[in-house]
Amino acid sequence: MRLLLLLPTVTYRTVAFVEAARRLGVDVTVASERPSTFERANPTGLVTLDFADPARAAGQARAFARTHPVHGVVGVDDDTAVVAAAIAEELGLRGNPVAAAEAARDKHRQRQLLAAAGVAVPRFELLTTAADPEGVSRSAAYPCVLKPLRLSASRGVVRADTPAEFVVAFERIKRILEQPGCHPASRSLLVEEFVPGREVAVEGLVTQDALTVLAIFDKPDPLDGPFFEETIYVTPSRLAQTAQQQVVACAREAVGALGLREGPIHAEVRHNDRGAWLIELAARPIGGRCSGALRFGTGGSGLGAGVSLEEIVIRHALGMELPTLERERQASGVMMIPVPAAGVLREVRGLDAARAVPLVEEVVITAHPGQTLVPWPEGSRYPGFIFARGERPEAVEAALRAAHARLDFLSEPAD
Amino acid sequence: MSAADVRITAEPIDNGRCKFLVSEPLHAGGVRRFASSDEARGSPLAEAIFAIPEADVSEIIVSGNLVTVVKRSPAPWPVVGRAVGQAIRAALAGGQPAVASKPVAPAKGGSATADDALYERVADLFDSQVNPMVARHGGRVELIDVQDAVVMVRMAGGCQGCGMADVTLRQGIEAMLQQHVPEVKGIVDITDHTAGSNPYFAAAKK
Repeated sequence: MRLLLLLPTVTYRTVAFVEAARRLGVDVTVASERPSTFERANPTGLVTLDFADPARAAGQARAFARTHPVHGVVGVDDDTAVVAAAIAEELGLRGNPVAAAEAARDKHRQRQLLAAAGVAVPRFELLTTAADPEGVSRSAAYPCVLKPLRLSASRGVVRADTPAEFVVAFERIKRILEQPGCHPASRSLLVEEFVPGREVAVEGLVTQDALTVLAIFDKPDPLDGPFFEETIYVTPSRLAQTAQQQVVACAREAVGALGLREGPIHAEVRHNDRGAWLIELAARPIGGRCSGALRFGTGGSGLGAGVSLEEIVIRHALGMELPTLERERQASGVMMIPVPAAGVLREVRGLDAARAVPLVEEVVITAHPGQTLVPWPEGSRYPGFIFARGERPEAVEAALRAAHARLDFLSEPAD
Repeated sequence: MSAADVRITAEPIDNGRCKFLVSEPLHAGGVRRFASSDEARGSPLAEAIFAIPEADVSEIIVSGNLVTVVKRSPAPWPVVGRAVGQAIRAALAGGQPAVASKPVAPAKGGSATADDALYERVADLFDSQVNPMVARHGGRVELIDVQDAVVMVRMAGGCQGCGMADVTLRQGIEAMLQQHVPEVKGIVDITDHTAGSNPYFAAAKK
């Protein structure tokens, strides 16, 4: 049984997916947008696909599959989710319709479909970077949020409370979108109503159009702007049961409205006294290293013993038997370590002290010495992750904060 | 130096494998790999790690100040890791070397002789094919040892800390070994990837 695993070269997900596939004993072909230096030596295990052109990538996958039959395809981020959908359609594999995956990636198309289906979403307007920000700012309703159509990890998302802030935010996002490497088709942004309330993340798996919720993560740090860098995720959610039911119902409606049929989803939902609001829905699993906070099953041995999210995603794509989709009993959380300041990272101190905090399981520094740290909204790379588990979500959250307080990032100004 | 002065950093690779970086050297004589508690006899550190209850440890690799532990148990690393940390501290505080020197190969036959022969073939493959390939991305792969037909490598340069290092290891090097030296039973990466300062591909949240 062969899995085609679509791994962009900048993903954090490589080890988790490659090792999960090995544990399952399936043959893996890793596809990336840039060639591996081993591609000629192992043409069965490595292939280059044009991730920027899903239709072309599907053709390339078709050519590959003529000699190496493929039984499942998995994308790990917003772009490869669309490529995976195109390949699944081309090869007749389990997957989402391309239009649904594209709608999940395109924030404007997503808003249009959700609004048309009656899903609660913020009011929105599409702008291009060629728009006159001063003119638009005079008619905008405040507070509002400006966000690029396609960037991930809340990069370039900025809140504006006044017309003056709007213009500043617009120009800032325009500079991000006009950097080399940003796709020209992505040079648009949404202006949308700021929805107050508590934000949660919903992890789910869609099978034959039906959403199974795997976890609801609270985001205990208020995401009120001006920037929207993520920090702490803790599950199970401490939202009231009725609120959680509204959140799940909102996610289900959104999955149906976009036409997603198969595979993982990650949704950002806000809840306030008017109910649940769909902020964003992605046709992929949770990003970064955050999936390490999820473990399924109850321990012991055999199928369902400490199963990872990646294993579930791969099993689903290949049509293999699924283990229990019930999350472990313990509370769990992850902190995406905020960028402390702009500069070149020299050293991280306090790691031992952070790891010694009770309930903390792991502190991973993913930034390397010499790496330039860029704060949000221009940045999108967290310098590391902290994981904790415990009996209660309150204790897990406190452990994450305590561990973070013990870390000291030493950096110096960038040239 | 007291046990409290020893600093240990755990870096889980996945639920089955974890690297422990220790502030003090544990074994200066190259790499030692232990695939069973029988093999661990005479090496207090390895004996203690194999004896951790509920961990079901299947493999230990010690090199310099790095200990790689492989377990079958689903028990989370924070639980097993504390016991590994205690074993490391106890071994360093003990009167004898934490890890015994590699046994001298018998004059004829035996796995050590077979490993030596495999080492030569793997080294040739690394020199002639693997390293020229990774060099194109500024990388380098050092062959550290071959023990019981398991190859131990350390990545450097553009490979160290690279977001695609595991793809290079599994889809590149391991696949080449299967093709050219099929007697090799496995490959273990003992690289400290967190210390990589110039990875070819650096990850972003996606």
